[in-house]
Parts: sequence; C-alpha cells; structure tokens
Amino acid sequence: MINVNNMSKKYGKLVANNNINLSIDGGELAVLLGPNGAGKSTLIKSICGLLRFGGSITIDGHENHTTEAKRLLGYVPEFPVLYPMLTVAEHLEFIAKAYRLDNWKQNAKELLRRFELDDKNMKLGKELSKGMQQKVSVCCALLPQPKAVVFDEPLVGLDPHGIRELKAVMQQLRDSGCALLVSTHMIESMEENWDVTYIMVKGQIERVCRRSEIKAGQSLEDVYFEITEGHPEDTRHE
Amino acid sequence: MSSLAFLLIRSIKNSLLELLHKPAKLVLWIAIIAMIVGIFVLSTSTRQSAGSILDINWLKGILFLLVLFFVVMAIQKGLANGDTIFDMSDVNLLFVSPVNPRMILMYGIVRMAKIAFLAGFFILFQSNTLSNVFGVGFNAVLLVLLGFILAVCLLQIISLLIYSLSNGKPARKMVVRFISVAVFLPLIIYICIQLLQTNAPLAAVENTLHSSIITWTPVAGWASEGIVSLISGNMGNGFLFLGLIVLSGALLILYIVLSNPDYYEDVLVATETSFEKKRIISEGQINTDATSMKKVKVSKTGIVGSGASTIFYKHLRESFRANKLGLWGTSSIIIIFSAALVARFMSGESGGLLMILQILMWMQIFFIGTGRGLKEVYMHYIYLIPESSFRKIVWSNLELAFKVLVESLAIFFIAGYILGESSPLIILAIAVYTLFSFLLLGINYLSLRWTGADLSTGLLTFIYTIAVIVIMLPGLITAIFVGRMYGGIGVLIGLGILTIWELIAALVCFALSKGILHNCDMPVFKPGSQR
Repeated sequence: MINVNNMSKKYGKLVANNNINLSIDGGELAVLLGPNGAGKSTLIKSICGLLRFGGSITIDGHENHTTEAKRLLGYVPEFPVLYPMLTVAEHLEFIAKAYRLDNWKQNAKELLRRFELDDKNMKLGKELSKGMQQKVSVCCALLPQPKAVVFDEPLVGLDPHGIRELKAVMQQLRDSGCALLVSTHMIESMEENWDVTYIMVKGQIERVCRRSEIKAGQSLEDVYFEITEGHPEDTRHE
Repeated sequence: MSSLAFLLIRSIKNSLLELLHKPAKLVLWIAIIAMIVGIFVLSTSTRQSAGSILDINWLKGILFLLVLFFVVMAIQKGLANGDTIFDMSDVNLLFVSPVNPRMILMYGIVRMAKIAFLAGFFILFQSNTLSNVFGVGFNAVLLVLLGFILAVCLLQIISLLIYSLSNGKPARKMVVRFISVAVFLPLIIYICIQLLQTNAPLAAVENTLHSSIITWTPVAGWASEGIVSLISGNMGNGFLFLGLIVLSGALLILYIVLSNPDYYEDVLVATETSFEKKRIISEGQINTDATSMKKVKVSKTGIVGSGASTIFYKHLRESFRANKLGLWGTSSIIIIFSAALVARFMSGESGGLLMILQILMWMQIFFIGTGRGLKEVYMHYIYLIPESSFRKIVWSNLELAFKVLVESLAIFFIAGYILGESSPLIILAIAVYTLFSFLLLGINYLSLRWTGADLSTGLLTFIYTIAVIVIMLPGLITAIFVGRMYGGIGVLIGLGILTIWELIAALVCFALSKGILHNCDMPVFKPGSQR
C-alpha cells in the first residue's frame, strides 16, 4: 500500500534521508523508530507529499502527489495544527466537504464519541488543549476512511483514555486492511500491535525487523537499543 | 567576568559568528546597511535643493502619534500580561541561579534597549522622506531613533510596573484605565475647544501642535517635543524633555527594585506567553487568531462548498467569526478613512489620487501576506485535499481578491470624489491597485516555488521585495515613458499600460509557480533562523 523506493531528501548539504526503501502492505502496522534527528519526520512528511524528495513514493500504486493517492492517505502530524476560528464540528465538516465525502456524519459522530469530543462540538480550535487538538487531528485524518494512515508521534499529549482509544483504533484499522505507519518514541506503547519495525539512524534505515524475526523474550525496545546503542542489556536495566 | 556580562557579550559574539556561517543572512544585512547608507547619501545630496516644505511641528505631530501607538500598546500589555524583557532561557537558567535579582533586572533592561532599537529600525529608512518633507538631514533621523528608543524603553518599564501593581486586582486595573484616559483628557478637551473656536480641523490640529498641552502630555508629548527641539537646535528644551523620559525610567526602575525585589512572578507570565506564541508558530500555527485572547461568540456554524471551493467558504466562516465586518476589518476602515483624509488635505492639488495609489501599493507589498490564502500553505490540510493544486490555490485566494476589489472600490471612489478626479482615472486606479495585489500573490508563490521555501522568513521577504521591484520596473518605466509622450491623457495611458503589465506579469508568475503544492516543501515559519 505504501511504497518508498530509493527516497532521498537533502536540506542544503544536510542529508536528512538517504536512499530509503520501505514497504507497508494493507493490514500491516509498521513502526518507525529512531533517535532525535534520525530523519523520521522528514520521511513521514515526504510520504504525505509535504516535502520534495528524490526517488519515488507511491500509495496503492499511485504517485503520492496525485489526487488518487491523497484520497487514500490519512496523516496525523506531530504537532496538531487546527484552524483557530473553526469549531471542532466544522473541522470535520471542512474535511468531509473538501474530500467530497458522502454519508460522513455518522462516522464523524462515532469518531468524536470515541475520543470524548462529542461535548466539544462547538468549541473553537483555539480553545482546545493540546491533547484535545491532537484528538481532533486524529479524527480529521480518519474521517475520509483512508486505506493508509501515517501517524507522527500520535500519542504525545494524549490523556490515558485517548492513548487507549487510539491504540484500539489502530488495531481496528489494521484488522480492516489499512496500512499504518507510526513514528514514535514511546516504544512500549506499540509492543502489542506492531508487525514490522523500521529503525532509522542518521537518515538511513539501519534495520528492518519483522515480529516473526525477534527471539523469544526479546522486546521491541531491546531491538531498538541493540541497533542504536549496541548494548541492550545495559540500557534496559538502567 | 560576571555571568550576566558573559551572557551579553557571548550572545553578541555568537550572533556575529552566525553571520559567517550563513552567507545569505550576511548578504541580507550588508544589503540593509547599504540601503541605509544609500538613503543617507541621497538625503544629503537632495537636501539643499529641497528646502523645508512643511512646518517641523507637523513632524512633532507624526512622532506624537507614533509614540502614542506604543503608549496604548504598553498600557494594554501591562493590563494583560506585562511586557517581555526576558527570554524563556533567562527564566529557566538565570532566575534559578544564585545571581542578584536586581542585577538580572538590569540585564533585562539592557536587552530591552536592543528590542527597542529593532522596533525603531524602520526609522532609519525614513531619511529621504524627512529630507523632502521637512528639509532635515540624516542627523535628524538619528535623533528620531534615539528619542523613539528612549520612549519605548520607558514604556516597557511602565508596562512591567502596571502589571506588577494591577495583576489580579480588578480595582487597580480600573484605576490604571482611569489614569490612562485622564492623562490624555486635557489634550482631548483642548482639541475640542480649538475645533469649536476655529471651525477648521486643520487649524485646530495646527494650534494644538503649537500648544504646551501636547508638549507636556506624558511620554508621547515629551518624546516628540524633545526630538523636534533637538532637530531645531533648541538644545535646552530637547535635553529637558528627553531627560524627563530618562529620569522617569530611572525612578520607575528604582521603585521596582526597592519595592519589589521578587519581581520574577511579574515577568513570568509575559515571558511564558511570548514563548508559547513562538512555540505555536514554530509548530506551524501562524494564524494570529490562535494566540488572540479576544472572546469569540459562536453563533452561525457550518461550512458549504465541495472540493477545493470548501477552502474559500471556510475562509469566509473564519473571517466573519473573527470579525463582524467579515473580510473587511478595522484595517480596511482605517485605510479607507486615511485615504479620504489625505484626499481632503490634497484637495485642489494635482496628482492626489496617484499619490494615494502609490502609498497603498507600497503598503500592499507587505499587507498581502496577511491573507488567509497564503497562510494555508503553512498548514498541511491544503496539500492533502485530493484536488488539483491549481484549483486549491485559486479558491484559497478568492477571499483576498474579493476583499481587495471591494476595498479599492471604496478607497478610490471616495478619494476620487473628494479630489474631483475623472471617472476613467478612478477606474484605472482601481484596476492598477487590484491587479497589483493579484501580481503580489503571484510573486509570493513564485518566491516560495523558486526558493523551495527553505529560507528564513527575513530572507524570503527580502527576495520577495526585490522580485516585486524587478518585475514592476519594466511596466513602470514604459508607463512613465509613454505617458509623458501624450500630455494631458498621458496619465490615463500610463495607468492603462501599468494595468496590462500587472495582468501579464501576474499570469506569468502564477504559470511559473504552477504546481507549487507539489514542487515545494511545506514552508515552516522561521523567524530569522534556518533548519
């Protein structure tokens, strides 16, 4: 569903992403891990068509800048940026009308209920806390019922209910055949759901690890520290 | 070396070293300095022939209004959060360190002077205007800047003090409001009396400017009188009033230091608010509505449209919610009123409408960026909507195009009527102004497309401004050249040529920036720094 081939991105002389290859099928949840400055957000923004890049990125076979690809893709940015003068309900209405969605109201209502926003319908974007804004941002991304969803640090700022609900939503999306790419530093939050992990270091994918490949008793966190620091045990027991 | 001196010196040193690592920024600063020197040379070479056109007291009036604007801002800030004289890094590192709080306050005040200088930087570019209008030289510009810095520093201290005294005390806030009005009451009464006596607004203003009432009005009056006295060579009066500002500032600092050494809490809210605004901007929220404290009443709701057109209807909903007049806010009213006022002053003289057009076009270069359409490219939504890039750009700028068209109709019909100008001239002025805005949008997108938006905001603005001048020059030169050949109707022909040029140039700019939403990095607002 999401295919990244030989993708590179430079900012002046700085190589943020170097020859990245990544593939996520429908019904697969991929976790993107890496230390700060590894190039995860750059990769995610490139997939969503927000940055120029070298190489190719396709969504279900469509080049990522095409309207077909955009119709299939949902994006939850790292920082939830809402329109300060629109209410929560109007954000969803805006997305529904801009994406030309039919029969969207029931879906919108259900999303708002799941994220405990049903009583915040008339609240303006600027009146919401950061966590609430993040929830609205998730609702906006999921309203068009995309076939591929990219999450950039989606759990930051969410309350425990929001975290639980979002994890449940991710599970449901995966079960329904949606391809998911989640960039996060909260490794333990992804332990239950992940299928494949891409670990990035200094703009490159250092390791691709499938759940079936890890040893018994080994956690995602162990795999991560093994790649980034080389001493999983030392770090784990600190 | 003390920690505070180290901080100050190291900050300056690092700022200079940063220039060496960022050649583009260095070029920008060299260009700015070259422009200031150029303006200085131009003003000294044209001064002898120009002579004094307007009474220097009018300069006093302009300076009074300028400082008055900052007075109102300072009082508002003081009643809300106080003024920012520290950074969040100062709060986190300095406030918890074992350094005397009074010394830290002094450090904050030294930093404050730097902010005041930057706020008054634009004054350095006014040399030519001051030379032509008042017949004064570059030394006068430096005096204006000095007086302005002193006034702004004093106002920042006043703002801090107002917050310190009135924070969480509604009764005291009322007293501050009462005093703020009372201070200007004698001046208001004096102007009203003059209006009744003379029955001529211009004469009333002129009499007020010559009166001691305006001179003794705190801060704005002191600063304007001090500056104008020094420019006129009345050194005693100049030093008296500027000295009054310095003395007031010193006394207020002394009061803060002696009465409230534990001032950290008073500056904390302002610093945190300022930091939060910067953080929100750096996270992609450049819409000023997001940080506005203004209460918004939600009555009508809902968005119409389908596909790309939804962006336009969303803009309408946002604008009407933010402002009862919708697309036309207070700034539109001020511009229309100011143009009418200038027209009233210029009544009977030739070229009044062209002068208004020229001023408004200059202003539009910088105001065009305040439209919602351009702000959309800083948010991810417009990139993800599954519609063609062209349709999204057109619909997202329709609000601004409509706003400018209606504004220009009001501005030029009213001003043209007051000036008694012909209908063709008024219509052509509307066309030139509206199409110029259209061209500016095109140049904005072209600048983003060409640079890939991977530049600091300052440098991007500089490139954009140079692009506007370069693109407009062929049209302007042709319009002036051809217009002069035809005598009486030459102005109309010249404006006609300019209109056609703007239309062609705008279409070319839009064509060249085609696919901007596909071929450009989503810009990040970078106030002076690069990634």
